[in-house]
Amino acid sequence: MINLVVALPAEARPLIAHYRLTDKTTHGGFRIYRNAGMSLIISGPGKVAAAAATALLAACNSAAAQAAWLNIGIAGHATHATGQSLLAHRVTDHATGKSWYPPQLFDLATTTTSLLTVDRPESSYHHGLAYDMEASGYYAVATRFSSAELVQCFKVVSDNREHSTASVTAESCVQLITRALDKIDLLLDALSALAQEHDNWHAAPAGLEQLTRQWHFTVSQQHQLAELARRWKVLVPNQPLWLDKLDTRKKAAEVLQCLQQHLDSLAPGALQATQEPGV
Amino acid sequence: MFNIIYIERQVADHPRTREICTRFPHATRVECDRYGEVFNPNAQNFRLQKRNPSLILAEKHKGRVLQAPEGYGLGGRRNYYFSHMLNCLYDCRYCFLQGMYRSAHYVLYVNYEDFENDMGTILAEADNESCWFFSGYDCDSLAMEPVSAFVQHFLPFFSRHPQANIELRTKSTQIRGLLKMAPIPNAVIAFSFTPEEIYHALEHKVPTLERRLQAMLQLQQAGWQLGLRFDPLIYQHAYQAQYRGLFQRLFSQLDSEQLHSVSLGTFRLPHSYFRNIVQLYPDEPLFAGAFSTDNGMVSYPQALEQEMTAFCTRELLQHIPESLLFPCTLAA
Repeated sequence: MINLVVALPAEARPLIAHYRLTDKTTHGGFRIYRNAGMSLIISGPGKVAAAAATALLAACNSAAAQAAWLNIGIAGHATHATGQSLLAHRVTDHATGKSWYPPQLFDLATTTTSLLTVDRPESSYHHGLAYDMEASGYYAVATRFSSAELVQCFKVVSDNREHSTASVTAESCVQLITRALDKIDLLLDALSALAQEHDNWHAAPAGLEQLTRQWHFTVSQQHQLAELARRWKVLVPNQPLWLDKLDTRKKAAEVLQCLQQHLDSLAPGALQATQEPGV
Repeated sequence: MFNIIYIERQVADHPRTREICTRFPHATRVECDRYGEVFNPNAQNFRLQKRNPSLILAEKHKGRVLQAPEGYGLGGRRNYYFSHMLNCLYDCRYCFLQGMYRSAHYVLYVNYEDFENDMGTILAEADNESCWFFSGYDCDSLAMEPVSAFVQHFLPFFSRHPQANIELRTKSTQIRGLLKMAPIPNAVIAFSFTPEEIYHALEHKVPTLERRLQAMLQLQQAGWQLGLRFDPLIYQHAYQAQYRGLFQRLFSQLDSEQLHSVSLGTFRLPHSYFRNIVQLYPDEPLFAGAFSTDNGMVSYPQALEQEMTAFCTRELLQHIPESLLFPCTLAA
């Protein structure tokens, strides 16, 4: 699952069209657009609104274990030309001074930047910083739900020392995001592949649900069962979690004991060569 | 090698920082107040970050040289360990670092001189008694040498302090710097090995067994003291044949009379680290086996542990005298 958080309808329009986010709902004044694998929420301007929208989207999509998150929007920058795409390697909240450092795992062509989230539009641009009004609120909340590697901020420069914020219109905003769609595509492909891989590692084996329907497991026993299910997936790959002799077991504790004994007898005698992918 | 280098503001102008940064002209430099802002936050995934870790340059303020736990050592009475770096270039699936740190970024402490001062203080207090300083606990001692110049900096200190001994523990073949120096008798370059089958399954990005063996031979020929470390011992059905083969291969080429020490210890981890690692690698066969937990440590069941240690000890004693063998008797 990919979650997009944008501040303005003008930033959202090209994304809704490009990703065909046709399913529209409204929750607590926030508009959410969806397709099967992606959700976009329009937060409105400001970090508090961004934080609220991010939390709402996370709650609405709680089934996704580790979603990829992307905050997309326009930003000011002292020196970069308008239209320049930027990925935040540091997000700092101007009011509190707190910083976050989104890990940059991908070798993408997009330039990275320090991003300062301010409470009011900024007209005096300090060298080397991008300015926005949402990222710190979004980032602080999104990393409550997903690992930091999967939470990123993508900005397109809309104003700088030569082109003030006064020159930014809804139409120019649409154009800026539209021109950045190729780069957004690349980033989202990389992020969603990473999120998918993470989910695959943790996917429960088939058959687990049937066990929990058939026997009542206490909370403690559910943890034990989850651990046995993990071992099952490794030691008995591609087979549902089930043993014929479980049929005669009446209590959950007996089921756990039976599975444990079976798995202990299968302890891996020969480790297989594997390799973690790089980027 | 690095897309991003995070730099603590207070070491931004440190000569070592500047030198390291010049090696990576294309890396983006990101300043931070304290490295913990980058390294310590909760919402990080070590496994994902391990695909492309960044470098963090920082200052170590305190706890630079620490007393080694009881049971750790090579026969000396005063044992200390220190880490100029956190995290390792390699990706060994059994490594405790995965369970200890949330981030896979490499932290390099650039204030080497402060480490030396602390060692100097310890040596002064020891009043000429021999001390051991172990490097390679939180990182590989040699793997990052081209960047860190750690050995190049620290060995001259040990050259000046003959009562101080250093162990450099490694799986690396970065020995150029050592070969350029005159060997010193109070430094031991200790190489870690597992059998070939385990290397392929668990020791990702590590130089091959053969390359490490060749590195050892070059060092031995140059007169450096060497150690062999078989820690952790990893169980497989065929472990006896595998370890016997490994020992034969190593000792048939190395001059065992010139070896300084050999140590071994079975796979074990603090329970909290084990839990974290399993959470990161639920699909790893190594962690699907049967383990037992005792006193907060996860290890192979005691009978198996004893069997493996006894077997490997017996096999090793066919190649080396007992005086060179140091079984590790403490928790990881």
